[in-house]
Amino acid sequence: MNVLIVFVLAGLMQAIRSFDAPYNGLGLGTTLAFGYLLLTAYFAGTLFKAARLPKLTGYIAAGIVVGPAVLGFLNEPMVQSLKIVNGVAIALIAMTAGTELEFRTMRPLMRTILWITVIAVMGTVGLLATAVFFARGLLPFMANLDSQQSMLIALVLGVVMVAQSPAVVMALRDETQAEGPVSRTVLGVVVIADLAVILMFAITSSLAKAFLGQGADVSQTAWALAWELFGSMGVGALIGSLLALYTTKVKAGAGLFLLAVAFILAEVGQRLHLDPLLAALAAGMLIRNASTAAEEIHHQIEAFSLPIYVLFFAVAGANLHISVLASVGLPAVMFVVVRGIGLYYGTRIATAFAGAPKDVQRFAGFGLLPQAGLALALSMLFTKTFPEFGADAGALTLGVVALNELVAPVIYRWALVRSGEAGKLAPSMQADIVSGDESGLVDLGPEHG
Amino acid sequence: MLSFVVALSSVVFAPVAIAQTYDAFDAGSDTVEAAPSTAALSPSTNQPPVVEPSPAPPTQHGGVIKTILGILALLTLAYLGGHAKVRAWEERLGISQMMAAGFPFVVLGMVAHLPAVGILTDDVLLELDPLLHVGLGCVGFVFGFRFDLRTLRQFPVGSERLVFFSTFFPFVLALGLSAFVLSLVSPQQDMFVFSGPLFLRDALILGTAAAMSAPTARRWYRLGKSTRLSLLVVRVEELLGIAGLALVAAYFRPQNADASWHLPGTAWLLLSVGLGATIAALTFAILQTATRGPEFLVLSLGAIAFAAGAAGYLHLSSVVVTFIAGALLNNFPGEYHMRLRDTLRRLERPILLLSLVIIGALWQLSDWRGWLLMPVFVCARLAGKWWATHPVLLADEQSRLTQEERYALGLSPMGTLAIAIVINAKVLYPGASISLIVSAVLGGGLLTEIFVQRVHRKHAAKTRVIRNTPPPSVTLGGMP
Repeated sequence: MNVLIVFVLAGLMQAIRSFDAPYNGLGLGTTLAFGYLLLTAYFAGTLFKAARLPKLTGYIAAGIVVGPAVLGFLNEPMVQSLKIVNGVAIALIAMTAGTELEFRTMRPLMRTILWITVIAVMGTVGLLATAVFFARGLLPFMANLDSQQSMLIALVLGVVMVAQSPAVVMALRDETQAEGPVSRTVLGVVVIADLAVILMFAITSSLAKAFLGQGADVSQTAWALAWELFGSMGVGALIGSLLALYTTKVKAGAGLFLLAVAFILAEVGQRLHLDPLLAALAAGMLIRNASTAAEEIHHQIEAFSLPIYVLFFAVAGANLHISVLASVGLPAVMFVVVRGIGLYYGTRIATAFAGAPKDVQRFAGFGLLPQAGLALALSMLFTKTFPEFGADAGALTLGVVALNELVAPVIYRWALVRSGEAGKLAPSMQADIVSGDESGLVDLGPEHG
Repeated sequence: MLSFVVALSSVVFAPVAIAQTYDAFDAGSDTVEAAPSTAALSPSTNQPPVVEPSPAPPTQHGGVIKTILGILALLTLAYLGGHAKVRAWEERLGISQMMAAGFPFVVLGMVAHLPAVGILTDDVLLELDPLLHVGLGCVGFVFGFRFDLRTLRQFPVGSERLVFFSTFFPFVLALGLSAFVLSLVSPQQDMFVFSGPLFLRDALILGTAAAMSAPTARRWYRLGKSTRLSLLVVRVEELLGIAGLALVAAYFRPQNADASWHLPGTAWLLLSVGLGATIAALTFAILQTATRGPEFLVLSLGAIAFAAGAAGYLHLSSVVVTFIAGALLNNFPGEYHMRLRDTLRRLERPILLLSLVIIGALWQLSDWRGWLLMPVFVCARLAGKWWATHPVLLADEQSRLTQEERYALGLSPMGTLAIAIVINAKVLYPGASISLIVSAVLGGGLLTEIFVQRVHRKHAAKTRVIRNTPPPSVTLGGMP
């Protein structure tokens, strides 16, 4: 049935798109793309689930197949216009991740998390940078660089390629209803590693720019970085306080209010050079650790997040240009392997140092493999920061993200199942999610209770 | 309500920041890409679609500050709009009914569109264009899903005449009088001749909008058995409204040589019906697969957006196509009705309110011709409705109405569908004359509501009829 629906949708889309009138503007194309992608990705997710694969891989795969790279049902402007969902999704995901990070329960894991961040994440940056440096013969855009410049660019690329994905980790945790030290440790690591990656990118890219002769104002860079990090956290904390206050005092319409805040955070925050991910994360952490509203907010997000998440991953897929793999396929595969080895064995070493439980030692490394939003953003930022390297460099990093985006969720899902944490979500929370039809809907105001 | 208004206005004006601070590259590329759509939304554009000059983009920092101040100002306005005292004042004025209860949101849109405020600029409206299409689709779907074929089979004896007159009279009067005034003041004088397609199209839109009513009479009167009659009249009017819009969308299409499909009007009409039926069948199949509430939300939203997007892409009416899909789904057998109704009930409110803000921004306040057309439209409509219930016309035993029934049926405010019809017409034909119609119908809706509620209040007090139902919330009107 689901396969049939996907084909019928594709047939309809093809028929409708054959009417190519010149007055079809962005809005109409966007509405059509929105509806089509939401439905197709949803059904692709159910098909993947039936094949014991992660739903979100299905969403991404649907985006790739119907996007400009393969079937072209969605053209480039349609995909670009759908990106408006990304900011909201990232803010909501980060806020949810923040509300998961309770200091009290995380404290025993902190030692492990910090060791993994230092050894696995930072170590893999070094490993990737070394790999890029030695493989520079395969990378035409590095042909004219001297050793020192090559080393710095390799370092920047290492940072870009190591980025993890809290979005995928959260989505898989929800999907498999996993609960336990592995999923908690992974969530903690990807959140902290994201902070570290943002920081490292700012530092390494400024250094590389200076050495490439473009000049970089150190004080300006430091100020911008400080604003992005501390400003985001400050704004996030403020928003968290407001949200907690609203949820506990006003209550009515909390779901929509939350959605509104996510939207503002994503769009206005970005324009103010704040990092929406950091701000939302800080908001979520404050809500969890300094208020009693965490469960309610978590519940509210869960209620309306599904369409946003489906669209977010599908748009991420539609944005992937699979064709770039043809030109950078070999080095991309090589770096994916190096990254995987670095993160997995780095985590094993780190967890052994930290004396983490056996399951964490065996499986946590797999949770660091997925990539999505941040990696894509850094990849684009790299292209923007170093335009002299042209599209090739962007293609390489995008190629790495594409491969990880498709393969890594499958591996992490397998790890969650093997670790025995899948399906262990607390019974009350599980009931909330399963019975989403009663509880899991947006509170629209007093009339709707 | 208060919190909801605040929350909602935050949602609405967040995208402001996007357009306010877009750098020249982004804004430029988007504008070029979407030029026709901008024209569709712009309140002051003429056919063929031409991009309206937007206010100059503010500088990065200026834009951000202006945006934040704008959001704060609008949040305050939203807060005031939802405040208990303001609502009490609305109640005293008699503008607390469905259409007018959403009026603060229309005002938000109007204020935000003012050049001095410059928040909902044409560029931002372009960003919100998909939202308007989804909103129109949702309106059509919700109204369609309320349409039960069994209702038509249960026509009370003798009510056919009433239904005919109450639809026909306001239609003809508004069509005649308003279109006449429009022909005098239309900015497209050279093309606007009697019996010309532009005149016929605009007259049809005005007449169709005038025929729509809101089923709010039960708030004032104990109608007893006639409550069903008043609802029936409203349902038939809605059906005719949809038919009128379908005709407008099918037979007055721009003949574009570059379009891939060249079909006669009747073929487009049949295509609208076919598309609606196809979407209904597809949605029926889709809904069978959903097991959880969030899945229902994804599938319902996806189906509505797909239907609205498909209709819009084919330059058909989103409202018509989704109405047909909704009506068929309501009349198909199955287990999904309750859950779909529940999902729609949750979707309709935020989408309607968001749409009202956009509609407010589209309202061309500065054009005096819209203000001139407004009272003519209101008078023609009210006169038509009132005469339709005249005892002379309904003289036989079975059709006769009591005084209360006559007040309830003859003095009814305008329905939400009327607004959706004219906005959809504007999206389809972004001509200047349709902007005037939008002004007339939006303002006329409010004016009618104030007038009829004052009359009802007086009459109810005089005849000691007690109000027996609470005022409705801001929804599309009484989803059962």
